[in-house]
Formats: sequence, structure tokens, C-alpha cells
Amino acid sequence: MTAGLTAGLMSIDLMTTGLSTSGLLTNRYWFKVLFEYCADPDSLSSLSWLSCYLTTVKHQSLYWSILTVLILLAVTAPMAVGLGLAGALARRSPFGAVRGLGWGYTSMVRGIPDLIFFLFVPLAIDQMLEYIRHRVLCPQETGPVWVGHDFVVCDAAKLPLGPSPEWVHDIYGFMLAVLAFSIVFGAFCANVIHGAMNAVPRAQLETARAYGLSPRQVMFRIHLPQTWIYALPGLSNVWMILIKATPLLFLMGVEDIVYWAKELGGSKSARFSDFPHGDWRIYYFSGLLVFYLLFTWFSQIGLKRLTDRVSRGQATLAGGKGGLGR
Amino acid sequence: MADTGAGQQAGNTQAGNTNGAKQSAAVAKNGAAVLELRDIHKYFGDLEVLKGVSVAARAGEVIALIGSSGSGKSTLLRCANLLEIPQQGDVIFQGKAIEWRAKGAGRQPASEVQVRGVRTHLSMVFQQFNLWAHLSVLQNVTEAPITVLGQDRSEAEEKGRALLAKVGIGDKCDAYPAQLSGGQQQRAAIARALAMEPAAMLFDEPTSALDPELEQEVIKVIKDLAAEGRTMIIVTHDMSLARDVADQVIFLHQGVIEEQGAPAEVFGNPKSDRLRQFLLSTSVAA
Ligand SMILES: Nc1ncnc2c1ncn2[C@@H]1O[C@H](COP(=O)(O)OP(=O)(O)OP(=O)(O)O)[C@@H](O)[C@H]1O
Ligand SMILES: [Mg+2]
Repeated sequence: MTAGLTAGLMSIDLMTTGLSTSGLLTNRYWFKVLFEYCADPDSLSSLSWLSCYLTTVKHQSLYWSILTVLILLAVTAPMAVGLGLAGALARRSPFGAVRGLGWGYTSMVRGIPDLIFFLFVPLAIDQMLEYIRHRVLCPQETGPVWVGHDFVVCDAAKLPLGPSPEWVHDIYGFMLAVLAFSIVFGAFCANVIHGAMNAVPRAQLETARAYGLSPRQVMFRIHLPQTWIYALPGLSNVWMILIKATPLLFLMGVEDIVYWAKELGGSKSARFSDFPHGDWRIYYFSGLLVFYLLFTWFSQIGLKRLTDRVSRGQATLAGGKGGLGR
Repeated sequence: MADTGAGQQAGNTQAGNTNGAKQSAAVAKNGAAVLELRDIHKYFGDLEVLKGVSVAARAGEVIALIGSSGSGKSTLLRCANLLEIPQQGDVIFQGKAIEWRAKGAGRQPASEVQVRGVRTHLSMVFQQFNLWAHLSVLQNVTEAPITVLGQDRSEAEEKGRALLAKVGIGDKCDAYPAQLSGGQQQRAAIARALAMEPAAMLFDEPTSALDPELEQEVIKVIKDLAAEGRTMIIVTHDMSLARDVADQVIFLHQGVIEEQGAPAEVFGNPKSDRLRQFLLSTSVAA
């Protein structure tokens, strides 16, 4: 998880330094006017007008938010599968406490609406981190952190620190969102993986034991590799749901593509913009439709390939196509 | 811990036997028991499935276990490699008795390591083959030698290919189990068992899931193994197989050994009515 987020931070650093050399940084981190001729919008023909319009600072925010969604998916997917695997394994642990933890995790997320989790998890993690920092960094303040209805910690404990630049705040918020997504979708994955582990025929595992494999070796050499054959359809489903859930980012204060489409599509008068236009939301939202449709479509193709590979040579219906020929 | 000294010797005899399979079976059979089950009692809940069964397989000996359905043959075999835990009685492998903790229903082997040690040298072939579905045929054969015996991959693969060739499916190394016929799958399963260089082998109705035609492929392999002087316990419904390969035939009836002896004796001159009836009922099929 840390690796993924660090990578995200690094790429942003690169962008910042790369663009700041031009000296045209705007207040929103690092964007600039791309084309010189855009300085005087009134003089433009329609095509160059469009090129200028689509490269305004705000539009660059839209493009950035597409990247945000993609990064979210790229980080969340492996984290959710990892958490799901941990949850499914926990439910089979020989230790009662670990089993209880695994069971609690999966059934909690199953029984509570996702929306509540998306609002609750970032807030809870944020306050937990700030509370710990408060106790560690400001030992002189022994009073309660709850003052009236407010959660108050010392300045040094704030996350991110007060004077941090705006992008640090955005990254922090994004990280919390990724965590919330991973926890919720990790629980979905845990259920899928748990069910798939139960679907592996008992004889396969018993045979492994009969050949002297240790319980650990049975798990990692036989049980889990066969689990993927049964889990992949379910996990594909979770991936699709994850893609379609990304607009919920907006709920967590991350300005995602839906936010920007709505923002940019609304009618603009000449008073507020160099590029006035009417209500174009229909075009923007159409663009979103196409974006999500293409994304899920390509995902489906990719997942189909993966499923074919995993079930190659298996006695399942999916495996039969791999050249069983009888 | 019974007769450790003699058993140790049996282990050594066996090791020599697996390496030089050409060693004459008659010589090997004079050794002490490789595998001995002593007074085995097994309950499933209140049902007593095995009621004090004792079997001893000496090095190079082939034992055929016959009996009607539900008589406890599979259960006895599964007690030998501890897939089932007998509530009473001892399992002695290569002279070492399995140590137990707790008694009665909660009885368990005291040492997981000891159990794995037994299983490592006691390969089982199942009625339904049970090849690992996600692994190719060659990988099925090399899996346990690599992960359990710690052989290196290239060595294990070389041996695996040789064994698959020996059972007549050398051209199927890279196929998956589901792509093979039943007879081919069972032969692959036998190659997997041989790859462990076992001191003894257990077969649980190895041909019962096969068409008569495919049955013969597997029977031929089993006969070859018997001729090599392998120690085997074979549960079978195929009386001609039992007659041809076994040194000793054991007739199990309702969890008790009803009759036991050389094939000529058991088949030619059955003493109990039950065995006579059983042989009559199977002679049609066999
Ligand atoms: N796991 C189990 N739980 C409960 N009862 C069992 C279990 N396994 C076997 N039994 C019972 O034990 C008895 C003996 O079964 P076993 O499988 O050993 O018979 P078998 O001689 O191998 O028969 P077959 O020739 O049909 O394979 C049967 O009555 C069976 O119902
Ligand atoms: Mg049976």
C-alpha cells in the first residue's frame, strides 16, 4: 500500500518540478496556459478556440481527475484483493480470535451500506491518526480532545500540518479515500475468496496431505492456486462494481471526474470566463458515459483473457474451451 | 514403540529394494514388516467400522484386500497413512510406531512431523485418481518430490519424465489432468506415487472408475510393479488381479478379517460361508 501511494506522490513531484521551470504556475499547483495564442480568446477561430477552451486550467483539472480515478483503481484493486485474501485466510485460522476478526470484518461490511463506510472510514482514520499524534507530540496537553462537539487537537498533531501546500491536503484526502475503498472492496473480495476456497474439492487437499505436504504447503501450493479458478468470476464482478463506484470519490472531498464534468458543463457567462458558453452538461456527461463504458468494456476483455488463462485445461465449463476437444 | 531394532532393519532392506528394484522379491519378502496395522478399531460416531483388524506387509509383499462394499477396506487403508485416525490400535511403519496423544474419540497423533514422515514414504493411489487439477501431468509428478523431499526441479522433472514414460504416457507431460482419459489419469497418478520412491504403496480400488478396456492399461502397470518387488496393499474388486499379483489375500467382512491366506488357498478353498458367497457374487463380474 505504502509503495503505491509513494509512487503516486513521486509522479506528482515530477510534474510539479517539470512545469514550474516555465514560471507559469497557476494557483492550482502546476497548470499553465499551454498555447501562447490563447492569451486573447476573442481573436480566435472556432478550432483554435476549442483547443484553447479544452486546455484551460480548469480543464486540466478534469484531466488530472481522470488520472486520479485511474490511480485510485490501480492502488485499490491490489489492496482489496490483498485484504480479501487476508480476510478469507483469517476465517480459516486455527486461532479463534483471528477467525473472529476475519468473520467480523466480512460481515460488518456486508451488513452496512457502502455509502456509510465511505463517509465513516476516512473520518475515523483521520481522527484516530490525529488523536495518536496529539498524545505523542503534545504530551503537555492533557485535556480532552473533545471540546463541546468539536474534535480539537494541537497544531503539531494536525494532518496534514496547517501550513502545508494545498496538494499535500489533496493527497492526504486521496489516501484516506483509497483506504476506505480498499477496506470496503476488500470485504467484498474476502467473501468471494472465502466462497471460492470452499468450492475447491476436498479430495484435492486430502491427496496433498497424503503425499506429506504440510498444512501450509497444502494451502499455498494446492488450495490457493485452485481458489483463483473459482474466485475469478466473482472478483471480476467486484472490479466492475469498483469502477462504477469511483464517482463516490466526490463524497470524500476528492474532486473527481463527475464533479468536474458538472462544474465545466454548466453555462458560463462572459463575466466569469474567457470562454463563455451555454449549458453543455449533456456533452460532458455523454463523455463520461463513453469513458465508463469503454473502461468497463476493455476490463471485460482483459478479465476474460485472464479467466481463460487460469482455467486452461481445467475440468470446468470455462476450461473446456482451452482445447479439450471432447 | 514396538520392535524398533528389527523395524530399522526392515527400513534399510526396503531402501535397498527401491533403489535396486531388480532385487529378487523372494529375498526381500523375508524381511520384517514395512507396514503393520495392529488391532485397529475405527469408529465413525457410534458406528464401529473396523473391529480390531491387524495386517502386516513385509518388504516386497503384495497384499490384496477384498470384501463387499462398506466392509471397511478404504477406511483401513486410510488408517495406514493416517488420513483417518483409529481410536484404538497401532500403526507401525518401518519399525516405528505412531505415537499418540489423548485416548478414545479425541485421539490424535502426537507429532505432525512423524505423520508427515510416514506419508512421505507411503504413497497412495486413489480410486478417483485425484490428480491436482491446476497442475500439468509432469507438475503433478514433481510437486511432492520438490516441496516435500526437497529435490531440485530439473532432477525431479527428469525423473518425472522417465516415470511417465514407464507407465506409458511419456507424451502427456504437458497436458492437464482433465485432458486425459481415465486410464491415462490413473497411470499418471501411479507415476506420481512412484516419484516419491515410497517404501510401500497403497491402492484404493485403482481400476474401479475405469472401463474394462482402460482397466487393463492400469492393471498391466500394477503387475509390473509387483514383479519389481514393490511392497503394496491393494484394495480391489478385481479377483483376477488379486489372484495374479497378491502374495496374501485378506477378506474383510463388516470390519473384521474373516479369512486370510495365499490366493490359491483363499480362492481355491474358501472356508467361511461369507467368503464363498462373496466369491460367487463377484465371479460373475470378474
Ligand atoms: N467419513 C465417514 N463418516 C461416516 N461414516 C463413514 C465415513 N467413511 C466411511 N464411513 C462408513 O464406514 C463404512 C466403511 O466404509 P469404507 O469406505 O471403508 O468401505 P469400503 O469397504 O471401502 O467400501 P467400497 O467397496 O464401497 O469402497 C461404511 O459403512 C461407510 O458408510
Ligand atoms: Mg472404498
